[in-house]
Amino acid sequence: MAQSGLARSERINGWLFVMPALVLLGLFMIYPIVWSLWMSFQVGKGMNLSFGGFANIQRLTKDPVFIRALINTFTFFIVQVPIMITLALLFAVALNDSTLRFRGLFRTAIFLPCVTSLIAYSTIFKSMFAVDGIINQTLMALHLIASPISWLGDPFWAKVTIIIAITWRWTGYNMIFYLAALQNIDRSIYEAARIDGVPAWARFRYLTIPMLKPVILFTTVVSTIGTLQLFDEVFNLTGGTGGPSDSTVTLSLYIYNLTFKFMPSFGYSATVSWVIVLVVAILSFLQFLVARDRKVKSS
Amino acid sequence: MNPALLRRGLVYALLSLAAFISVFPFYWMIIGATNASADIIRGKTTPGGALFANAATFFATVDAPRIFMNSAIIAVVGTALTLVVSSLAGYGFEMFRSRIREKLFALLLLLLSIPFAAMMVPLFVMFSQAKLVNTFVAAILPTVASIFIIFYFRQATKAFPSELRDAAKIDGLNEWQIFLYVYMPVMRSTYAAATIIVFMANWNNYLWPLIVLQTADNKTITLILSALTSAYTPDYGMLLFGTVLATLPTLVIFFLLQRRFVEGMLGAVK
Amino acid sequence: MTDMSTRWKRTLCVALTGISIVTVAAASASAGEISVWVWDKAFNGDTMREAGEIYTKAHPETTFNVDDTASQDDIRAKLQTQLLAGSTEGLPDIVLIQDDIAQKYLQSFPGAFEPLSDSIDMSVFAPYKVAAATLDGKSYSVPFDSGVTGLFYRSDYLEEAGFTAADLENITWDRLVEIGQAVKEKTGKQLLDLDMNDTGVIRMMMQSAGEWYFNEDGSLHITDNAALKKALETYAKFYQADLVKPVSGWAEYTGAFTNGEVAVVPVGVWITATIKANADQSGKWAVAPIPRLDMEGSVNASNQGGSSWFLLSSSDNKEEAIDFFKTVWAGDQDFYQDILIKRGAVGSLLSAREGEAYKASDEFFGGAPVWQNFSTWLGQIPSVDYGTFTAEVDAAVAAQLPTIIQGGDIDAALQAINDQAQQQMQ
Repeated sequence: MAQSGLARSERINGWLFVMPALVLLGLFMIYPIVWSLWMSFQVGKGMNLSFGGFANIQRLTKDPVFIRALINTFTFFIVQVPIMITLALLFAVALNDSTLRFRGLFRTAIFLPCVTSLIAYSTIFKSMFAVDGIINQTLMALHLIASPISWLGDPFWAKVTIIIAITWRWTGYNMIFYLAALQNIDRSIYEAARIDGVPAWARFRYLTIPMLKPVILFTTVVSTIGTLQLFDEVFNLTGGTGGPSDSTVTLSLYIYNLTFKFMPSFGYSATVSWVIVLVVAILSFLQFLVARDRKVKSS
Repeated sequence: MNPALLRRGLVYALLSLAAFISVFPFYWMIIGATNASADIIRGKTTPGGALFANAATFFATVDAPRIFMNSAIIAVVGTALTLVVSSLAGYGFEMFRSRIREKLFALLLLLLSIPFAAMMVPLFVMFSQAKLVNTFVAAILPTVASIFIIFYFRQATKAFPSELRDAAKIDGLNEWQIFLYVYMPVMRSTYAAATIIVFMANWNNYLWPLIVLQTADNKTITLILSALTSAYTPDYGMLLFGTVLATLPTLVIFFLLQRRFVEGMLGAVK
Repeated sequence: MTDMSTRWKRTLCVALTGISIVTVAAASASAGEISVWVWDKAFNGDTMREAGEIYTKAHPETTFNVDDTASQDDIRAKLQTQLLAGSTEGLPDIVLIQDDIAQKYLQSFPGAFEPLSDSIDMSVFAPYKVAAATLDGKSYSVPFDSGVTGLFYRSDYLEEAGFTAADLENITWDRLVEIGQAVKEKTGKQLLDLDMNDTGVIRMMMQSAGEWYFNEDGSLHITDNAALKKALETYAKFYQADLVKPVSGWAEYTGAFTNGEVAVVPVGVWITATIKANADQSGKWAVAPIPRLDMEGSVNASNQGGSSWFLLSSSDNKEEAIDFFKTVWAGDQDFYQDILIKRGAVGSLLSAREGEAYKASDEFFGGAPVWQNFSTWLGQIPSVDYGTFTAEVDAAVAAQLPTIIQGGDIDAALQAINDQAQQQMQ
């Protein structure tokens, strides 16, 4: 009797805790999303829309800009996310050492990029990466390059610049999650390991990483989604064009252009949005699968 | 040389380099606020004497008290509501497992990936029909239930010791009391991190406020600064003075809350 | 623990009070107030404010609310979202729209804008401006500033290289390349700065020959567009002769010429205020007619940018707005003299060119009657139909520029532009 009462209260509370969020999400997400799914079957410009079945999907497969955007987005994702996650983790672990001096200072400094306003940061990045900018001057002074690199004017280097810019801006942000998570780890485990003579790298590999796994998974999923939705950096560093030669155009930037810059083609831009959803669905599934696999192995 | 000392030196070198790279654009922004526009374009990186002139232009161009107040209301109220609603949900999803809620949660994670631009028109229709266009309610409401923050709290809750909850139950606390008196104090560093992240997101939120806040007197500082940037002849000195001001609130919040990260699990075991 | 929980309770209380604060009511436009969206405070914002003041003086019951707190991109996003949502309550009465995207709005949102040619005599404005906003025989805009182009140049650099003002009169772009090489040899300065994401120079070259990206029926005019081909070849020549300072973004673009790093700036007249902002360079600048393409039909006059006023059909103040357009924008000569002197705004009212301000000479430009010159060129701009897909083709052109400057085949590039644009125009 008492047992079933407990189960019922669990059941009710389970819903009560998540209810406010679900109600709000239902209103402000589900409805717009269903609408956009419906839109993805519409063709036409502006307000002159008609049902087009799978016409938008057919159009996708033949759209060179979409294909470039898809490839670019993936390049950014594959190259940038691992670099950033690794750096953030390293910084967090280094800063979690209570014997380290100036920790507050370092923490604040590394966090600064993500509060620096986009305006200031894109202006200075453009000036630093200009042909006669400080980056080229330094590299030439160090004899690393013979002639200046046209960072934002060359399709390859423009991608590199964007990756540097995203990493610069978001590493400190991801570090925050790790720092917060490290605080939730019981310090006595570390002490015990240290006393037992477990070396630092092993403590990192076998204690820190497994305990941070939920948060690492979280930051990876969030960074994946963030990169797939990448917009701000590209929009601001390339003047909204994703150039040169579409080398930095992303799916989100393309959606923005289809919606606001080009002839308003809402059905088509909704279709591109759903491609992102599909891609994320597959990636998240894979990431969860990998995480779950490891859990099974380690236990 | 002592390998431990060497390693320590390497750590300091790495952190110093990262700190330098991170701080430089910020330094440049502050220096820019003290220089005239023409000097900034010329690439001057030393302090100048135009700070007061820039400030005067900024305050003459922008109705700063009003605009900062708008930003503050939207960011503070939005952050408070997001933390409450989303941490409740994150805790709920993790602590009370059921098959249907797991499925719901997976669905939410998928929805997280839909670009906002795709939802803007229907959202606007909703708020327009509710006669809420150009209100702060419209600016705040769609951001309150943040899947991202729900996910964050859920992941952080995995580290919440279940013994604490069991002990509290034995002490006779109900689920809501446990959340309020045990979970929230224990998870302070998580709340601190979430506060920074959510406040920053709200403060810098762009596309939705742009569409839904119509009149100049309801706009946020982020919107105003963006418009100033795109002038034909931008006054960069004034603009950078404005961006420094606009950055301060997030920075102060970060500075106040970052100490929480080092306090660890105080209170929990008291 | 108790201490802790009270603090959390207090936070909750604050949060709940917060909800009541945010329920501030929307400020709706009062009757008789005409709201206007513009994107640059100093230029079109203050100009519209001044126009409003003139009208309010004669009609005290009509006031103006000019909102310049959004960028041009932002205005497009706001306008488009609301028109798509079919919601008009947040829209202004009047909005400023750039000429080359006017057709896009008129055709995608039929009925959203008020036809003005029935009540306002459009023949008083520069014809190419009126044409940009004419659909099915009706004109929907009151033209504002002209984007008439000129070749702004550093007379001191050119002089150092042995060129006089006459050497720059009515030349071709090919001749400019030669001059650029001589200038670079003598002064070490690059000829001009270009942003590879911006097709502005290519478009002004093309328009000087009366061509655009489209045929009359709206179909693509790319692979057989001799002017576009010539323009792309010229663009490549700048790079191949190493006369370009590559820049990225507006700040760097304007920085290069205000810092004296380049010798010439081919651009729309609206840049004047930016150039003149550097008072220490007074007397070192001059303006020549824009070069023409070395081909039949190309003239030494073109256009870049420029925008016009549109009246939303949803406006509650249509009568007042139309009367305001008529009396101030289509009739007040003095107003046009004033905005030219104060803000360097070259309006599109043809008769305004006869005014005093247009005849004045400018010491900054070596005492030349620059406004008179711009007015003359304004009358010679070939009129083109910007069509509805200019942004799409622009993107396709920009995508080919890196290949073109490296000596890539122009015909192949034209084909690629055509294919990409075709895809985008579906």
